[in-house]
Amino acid sequence: MIEDVSSDACSDVDTSPCWATQIILQEPTQQLPGVNLEAFSQAITAIQALRSSVTRVFDCLKDGMRNKETLEGREKGFVAAFQESLHSVSRDLGELERLSNLVGKPSENHPLHNSGLLSLDPVQDKTPLYSQLLQAYKWSNKLQYHAGLASGLLNQQSLKRSANQMGVSAKRRPKAQPTTLVLPPQYVDDVINRIDRMFPEMSIQLSRPNGTSAMLLVTLGKVLKVIVVMRSLFIDRTIVKGYNENVYTEDGKLDIWSKSNYQVFQKVTDHATTALLHYQLPQMPDVVVRSFMTWLRSYIKLFQAPCQRCGKFLQDGLPPTWRDFRTLEAFHDTCRQ
Amino acid sequence: MQQVPLPPPGAVPPRPSARPSADAHPRSVAQVPVAEGKSVQQTVELLTRKLELLGAEKQGTFCVDCETYHTAASTMGNQGQTGKLMYVMHNSEYPLSCFALFENGPCLIADANFDILMVKLKGFFQNAKANKIESRGTRYQYCDFLVKVGTVTMGPSARGISVEVEYCPCVIANDCWNLLMEFMQSFMGSHTPGIPSVFGTKHDSVYSPADTVVQYMELFNKIRKQQQVPVAGIR
Repeated sequence: MIEDVSSDACSDVDTSPCWATQIILQEPTQQLPGVNLEAFSQAITAIQALRSSVTRVFDCLKDGMRNKETLEGREKGFVAAFQESLHSVSRDLGELERLSNLVGKPSENHPLHNSGLLSLDPVQDKTPLYSQLLQAYKWSNKLQYHAGLASGLLNQQSLKRSANQMGVSAKRRPKAQPTTLVLPPQYVDDVINRIDRMFPEMSIQLSRPNGTSAMLLVTLGKVLKVIVVMRSLFIDRTIVKGYNENVYTEDGKLDIWSKSNYQVFQKVTDHATTALLHYQLPQMPDVVVRSFMTWLRSYIKLFQAPCQRCGKFLQDGLPPTWRDFRTLEAFHDTCRQ
Repeated sequence: MQQVPLPPPGAVPPRPSARPSADAHPRSVAQVPVAEGKSVQQTVELLTRKLELLGAEKQGTFCVDCETYHTAASTMGNQGQTGKLMYVMHNSEYPLSCFALFENGPCLIADANFDILMVKLKGFFQNAKANKIESRGTRYQYCDFLVKVGTVTMGPSARGISVEVEYCPCVIANDCWNLLMEFMQSFMGSHTPGIPSVFGTKHDSVYSPADTVVQYMELFNKIRKQQQVPVAGIR
């Protein structure tokens, strides 16, 4: 409905000089407030008069001097006739100008162009076209803006964390894997080694028990141990345990499934998983790992730092287990808002 | 390597080794004075009720005992030298171990059959049977805290109350002292103890089971001395 109206209206914009006539023909009986229809029809008559008087000027020029006996008489008659027709042109032009002021300019500067004329509809309740049109206009504007932003972000960050997520469509048209998933193990080793050297109180042990994916055992001071399961340079899973807890299964492998026996480390595990989702920058996975480790390092004071909000050490029997992602300050889980 | 950080309720976990080095967490052992006009038993009940209100759950019992040995007179070189006291202690948290220690001296952690060895050594160390002192009571768990409220008895009579608070996730005593203190304040109020001397000397090293036993020894000595005053008066 809206589209019909606007396309009709738009087609009116850039057509011939007869646009006014067209409108009259389309809506002969409708009274538009603010548009003087009387003046409109008079103006059309005035245009016709102007055109005929202009035609007369050129006719007069084309005919030239004739039908007079003397040269003098001919000249006089021609000048007089020419003068007369020019006068009528200027008179008609003046009349047209006067009328055009009366007609008014209802829609020329309207941002919606001729569809703005809908606002003139006096029966709002029955045909709320205009308000709907405005809503749709705003909505589509916003949509376009957000779509632009989103496409910018998506181009920057591919959200595909694993090749499996590509699913069926990937099979249909084979695509190269995201580059971050096919990093050479040597590069991963280098990145982890650099992080290991960066934090003296943190020791990182890298192992590859199952193929190319690395597993890290991070020991933070004498406070806690963290098992980090990597996929290339993406961190897939993390488990936090106590410093004196067993992190190996009976056959000597890293135990990546069982959780800590202590409530405090179960809570920290939850927060670490949140941090994994928070620190995301698929174009630069090494930065993500470094940020995560920097954040993790703030747990060195897990038992020593009071909550930055309530100033206490304990709440429901737990120390402040939350660390702010930006400031690394300690908070209780319920104090962090 | 087997570790049982939190034993199942009501059961003392079996241990493969006599050396209980695997799990030792900072503990504070303190004495709570008997409330005025109340018996030891009533004061213990008062404390445990407070703990239960806090949300702590009962988790079996515990026992720490201490036997005193005098150095036998025959082994002493000088007449003027007084015999050193040696304490042999058992802790139900470490059922396969036996702790032998001197006051301010080294602490030996041995297998439980160390007691039999002591019987063989009675020519050098004589058991002062009357001085046997022990603390028995209930274990409570609250989050990652273990609390043991015990009645200290010497012979047939109850002499005092011991409260041991342990924070299991931590291994460095000084790291979690503030935490322990805040927790103790929540149910001990004004009787919250100051930082134990073993915490001060530990710095950043890992807390060991011997540190707990030393704290119990100091507590028992304190309680013994409190009681010795009237006894000496009668003599």
